[in-house]
Amino acid sequence: MAKRSTFRAYARFLGAAFRANLLAVMEYRINFLIQVFGMMLNNAAFAFFWGVLIDRTGGVGGYGFEDVMFIWAVVSSAFGLAHVLFGNIRSLGRIVMQGELDLYLLQPKDPFLNLLVSKTVVSAWGDLIYGFIVLCLLPGFGLERLLLFSLLSVSGGLVFAATFAAAECLTFFMGNSQAISGALTEFLLSFSLYPETIFDKGMRWVFYSILPSGFIAFLPLAVFKNLDWRLAPLLLLVACCYAAGAYALFRAGLRRYESGNQMGARI
Amino acid sequence: MSAATRRLRARLRAVARKYGLIAATGLKSRLAYLANYAGSMLTYGLFVFVFSRIWTAAFLGRAPAEGQGGAATIAGYDRTMAIWYFIVAEISVFGFGRFFWRLADDVKSGQVAYLLARPYSFVGYHWAEAMGPALVDMAVFVAEGILIGLLVAGPPPLLEPARALAVLGSLLLAGSLQFFLQLSIAMTAFWVEENAAFFWIFQKLALVVGTLLPIEFLPDAARAVAVFTPFPSLSYAPARIAVAATGSEALRLVAAQVLWLAGAVALANLVFRAARGKLAVQGG
Repeated sequence: MAKRSTFRAYARFLGAAFRANLLAVMEYRINFLIQVFGMMLNNAAFAFFWGVLIDRTGGVGGYGFEDVMFIWAVVSSAFGLAHVLFGNIRSLGRIVMQGELDLYLLQPKDPFLNLLVSKTVVSAWGDLIYGFIVLCLLPGFGLERLLLFSLLSVSGGLVFAATFAAAECLTFFMGNSQAISGALTEFLLSFSLYPETIFDKGMRWVFYSILPSGFIAFLPLAVFKNLDWRLAPLLLLVACCYAAGAYALFRAGLRRYESGNQMGARI
Repeated sequence: MSAATRRLRARLRAVARKYGLIAATGLKSRLAYLANYAGSMLTYGLFVFVFSRIWTAAFLGRAPAEGQGGAATIAGYDRTMAIWYFIVAEISVFGFGRFFWRLADDVKSGQVAYLLARPYSFVGYHWAEAMGPALVDMAVFVAEGILIGLLVAGPPPLLEPARALAVLGSLLLAGSLQFFLQLSIAMTAFWVEENAAFFWIFQKLALVVGTLLPIEFLPDAARAVAVFTPFPSLSYAPARIAVAATGSEALRLVAAQVLWLAGAVALANLVFRAARGKLAVQGG
């Protein structure tokens, strides 16, 4: 019973955080719409590139245009979802470094979750929406594919969030992990957005471990193409394992955290 | 030498010294923070690596074309040419592609008001201030591009000193053209505060017209339109000169860059003149 009420309290908390973030970005509607439009435009430029290239070559590494568009769609939505819901994932290291974590430690909710959900990234909404727009344009679009795509975006979003957060948590141990987490972001995004087969077989193990593009883009492509629902829960389970790993790293790091006695307030 | 010629030469020297000093100040400030290069160098290197893999996969298993030394080609480019094309085209983007943000911020923050009262051209000042550090950026990415290119694609397809000089000259023209076009867009902040969308459209058009792909890859209709825009002068010109252009084609590409640059300078000055009337200085 106690567990159920805790779960309810967290669900209410997450809903309230989401509403507050949404209201904050909608306060600057024009800026919000411009950022959303900008992100969609950026992704569309690459769609044009792939369209032209595959039209000329007939395929790259065994991937056709629709395959590439699917991985762009699912990666965009997963990346967008991670930053819409957990907008602070890539600020976590800076927050630790500047001693701003004190603020979250004093509040009754779990500091890891509280910190991550206390912000949303405006441009990420563009990524999230873009993925669904591309999905609608893919052949065979229907309710089943929409549900499967949503599920794959959720699991991919969790993997993104967990990986970024874990890299940021290294700040607890190294003092400043900005370079590592910046590099990891670049690598993870770059490898996820391109066909797996263009990379040497020797480096593909990386895509199923420290740079989990395999769980964000490549396996979801196989699941989506074959409408293979059996693998979908497995992907969610993997995503939960990554999330648990990031949480464990945060808790371990927290034991090394030293307060900067900084005064602060969240309004 | 007549007195008038002497006066003109002295004036030109003074102007060159003035803008040279502005450029040198910007350059020194960039050199003071070399660590800031780590992020963009990583992104550039990663981009080149990923695209080298894309091109390798695209050419894999393709039949060799006749008259191309046995190499398979797509739209007249073989694998090595395509990779080196990308390396040079991206130098223009990474070295000169981000002037807009600082310029637009200066307009929005009102910083421009301080510059108007000073004895230099507003447009000229910003050009010198931006191009000084951009030259360092370009040198950094040229060095990195050559290193990665040698590792992933082998030597460039055409190695001639005159070609190398032409590529550098074309890159500098591309840099100045980038600057004046981005300044014109940035100054729209005098009318519309949220002007980032204009820049994004410009940036993405530049990306698809000649940066990610040579324009020979574009569909006929798109290519027919693209050649009448300044976009091929931004990345395509230096990259094409580096990997394929004959002497006469290189001259044509550089001439087009010079013409577009003259047009962009005129446009930036026109926009500035129109914008000056919108500025209200309220003391401070």
